Amino acid sequence: MEFSLSEEQEMLKTMARDFLENECPKTHVREMMEDEVGFSRDLWKKMADVGWLGLVFPEEYGGSGMNFRDLTILCEEMGRALLPGPFLQTVLLVGMPILTAGTEEQKKEYLPKIASGDMVCTLAVLEEDGDFWPDGVQLKATQRGNDYIINGTKLFVNNAKGVDYILVAARTRRATEPGDGITLFLVDMTEWGTYVSPLQTMDQTRPQFEVMFNHVAVPASNIIGELHEGWSVLKEAATKATAALCAEMVGGGEWVLETTVNYAKERIAFGVPIGSFQVIKHKCADMYSDLEYARSLTEWAAETIKDDIPDAQMSVSMAKSYCGDTYKMVCDHGVQIHGGIGFTWDHDMHLYFKRARSSDTAFGDSYYHRELLAQSID
Amino acid sequence: MTSQNLEALRREVRDWLRANLPKGWGTPEYVPPQRYSRESHELGKEWTKKMYDAGYTGFNYPKEYGGIERPREEIAVIYEEMARTGTPGGPLSLGLLVAAPAILVHGEEWQKKRFIPKILSGEESWCEGFSEPDAGSDLANVQTTAVRDGDEWVVNGQKVWTSMWEFADWGLLVAKTEPDAPRHRNLSYFLFDTTTPGFSRRPLRQMSGEAEFGEMFFDDMRVPHENMMDEQGRGWYVAMTALTAERSFGGTGFTGGAAAMGGLGTSDLLSANSLVELARNTKRYGKSVWEESAFRQRIMQTAIELEAMRWSGARLAARMMKGTPIGNEASLLKNFQAEMRQRRGDLTCEILGAYSQMVRGSTRAVDEGDHVYNMLRARGATIEMGTSEINRNIIAERILGLPR
Repeated sequence: MEFSLSEEQEMLKTMARDFLENECPKTHVREMMEDEVGFSRDLWKKMADVGWLGLVFPEEYGGSGMNFRDLTILCEEMGRALLPGPFLQTVLLVGMPILTAGTEEQKKEYLPKIASGDMVCTLAVLEEDGDFWPDGVQLKATQRGNDYIINGTKLFVNNAKGVDYILVAARTRRATEPGDGITLFLVDMTEWGTYVSPLQTMDQTRPQFEVMFNHVAVPASNIIGELHEGWSVLKEAATKATAALCAEMVGGGEWVLETTVNYAKERIAFGVPIGSFQVIKHKCADMYSDLEYARSLTEWAAETIKDDIPDAQMSVSMAKSYCGDTYKMVCDHGVQIHGGIGFTWDHDMHLYFKRARSSDTAFGDSYYHRELLAQSID
Repeated sequence: MTSQNLEALRREVRDWLRANLPKGWGTPEYVPPQRYSRESHELGKEWTKKMYDAGYTGFNYPKEYGGIERPREEIAVIYEEMARTGTPGGPLSLGLLVAAPAILVHGEEWQKKRFIPKILSGEESWCEGFSEPDAGSDLANVQTTAVRDGDEWVVNGQKVWTSMWEFADWGLLVAKTEPDAPRHRNLSYFLFDTTTPGFSRRPLRQMSGEAEFGEMFFDDMRVPHENMMDEQGRGWYVAMTALTAERSFGGTGFTGGAAAMGGLGTSDLLSANSLVELARNTKRYGKSVWEESAFRQRIMQTAIELEAMRWSGARLAARMMKGTPIGNEASLLKNFQAEMRQRRGDLTCEILGAYSQMVRGSTRAVDEGDHVYNMLRARGATIEMGTSEINRNIIAERILGLPR
């Protein structure tokens, strides 16, 4: 277990921050908020050029073979910059299942394309009930010759517009165990029969969509992993994505803390900086403290994934639960300490405030993860 | 150090603990001496001596002051094993955690040689005289005076909230020596023998019922000039060193301390498990408390917070190993630990319902009334060693740089 960053990791962090400050200023974020697709292919290509998209893939598939902890260093910076785009989705929720459960042919075909930035992806799991659990997967795929025909609707699909592929969790068999009978299909978005429409969501930095599949034919060769056994692949990928999301949340929280502390030093009220009032100091101290603990849990979770420790799921649940509560609290205080200006659309505080909320609900909120932990010792 | 050698050390420590812990330790048969009694104090001294002789304590101090030098990995193994069984400790911790660090930084050579070895070996126990009735959070407002008379200082005044007050052999004392000097430059720091004439002490009973703390009175008590630590007028700075040391250890606790050394103590996790067990075995309105979502959530939150603390300790340790000293971050751990203790105390009592009211002595008390004791005692946790408010000021001003 190594907590401090190596020299290479420090460099990666500095490089990522510089890159995002140049390429993803808030003007870009706000432009993307108004954009129909919601992310920039140009920026995506640049991210591929600096090696981010293939960071954790082995070299033989066009990646650079770095580890999961390295990836979370990037994610932290992405969360800080509010980078729009399906990075977690492409790399961890689609790329990782291909790497861990895909056939050699699939790996050779897709992973280099992901790494080079030519294949942008997202994941479609949630349906009407809005919960990340196997019972929620009702969308059907039925076999017809060498194809599977997909029918149904997915909700809460991040960045569905503008991606090349969607990995779809579909029900291929009814079984007593809900996790049994779910299959993962890699659906080419140029195929006939997919309809993408935006959901009007609070967090515009990470747009979500409703995707309708109307008799979409997917070749059996596009099944990722074994038929009927997709849920465990998905769960493993979600564990990784959740840990990466925690890193994003810590990064975003630190931006809010820094911005708020700076404001408290400069804003004058009653003739003195508001940061000299104890009520403000104590709120800032709480923001700092809880972020430190959120970071500890997040780094520990990243290490357990990197080292393939069997109870990584538990460490991730702990981190996600704590990060969800903390990021929300930090943003609450951030808005409050900024006062009127923090309540405006023009100030960036609300972008983080909303990102905190959407991140908390993603992959199960704090309550869900605490309950998951409780069930693990039931 | 190979992992094989470390495993051998682990077995050695385990065997040693089995042979040396008090009879029945860790089982219901073991009856601990009453808290804060002379017997408990003596047990602590004996235990420290045994550990010191075996080479299991006294780390982080140079050899010439009686320190025991061991590689970090070995220390981690030793702490882990100690944390696993738990050990008698208590009364000596103040010497180890507060007196020795302050003497090491601010003491003269003879003071280091005279005092530190006997602290490490458990031969001499210590108490500290900082707070006064009118100097709590505002510690610089100390009113106890020390007036120079030849080679001695004559001390008059009162100290309150003194831990280990009753049996300590030596005391740390902050007194005003320059009444006209500005704040923070008017205090000096002394080491005093508690058998000195003019010194007296009495218990200060707290809301949990016992007198863990005491009051100390100085009535023309004479302290030799050579017992002053650091320079005259620099007492405030010595006190700050001592308090920061106390907070960092108080915040991490023994297990946290082990984690901070890079080892992974398990007793914190066990303490979350003990909440689960209590909830499972407690029936309210006909069903197990563990089945109640509201309680499950809070118990798991406690487990998460314990883990957060454990890994924060490990992160600080990683920083220490890179050579960055830990100072103000101690406030962070201290507050978190204290506030968590309160939440845990409240939660335990709420699990127990009506039975949470029964204190020690009642035959119907659960766990001999320990739960309600812990809940009450935890109210002091956010007041002692710097109130939560003072620690938040420290975080805001010294870490975040907000204006004073």
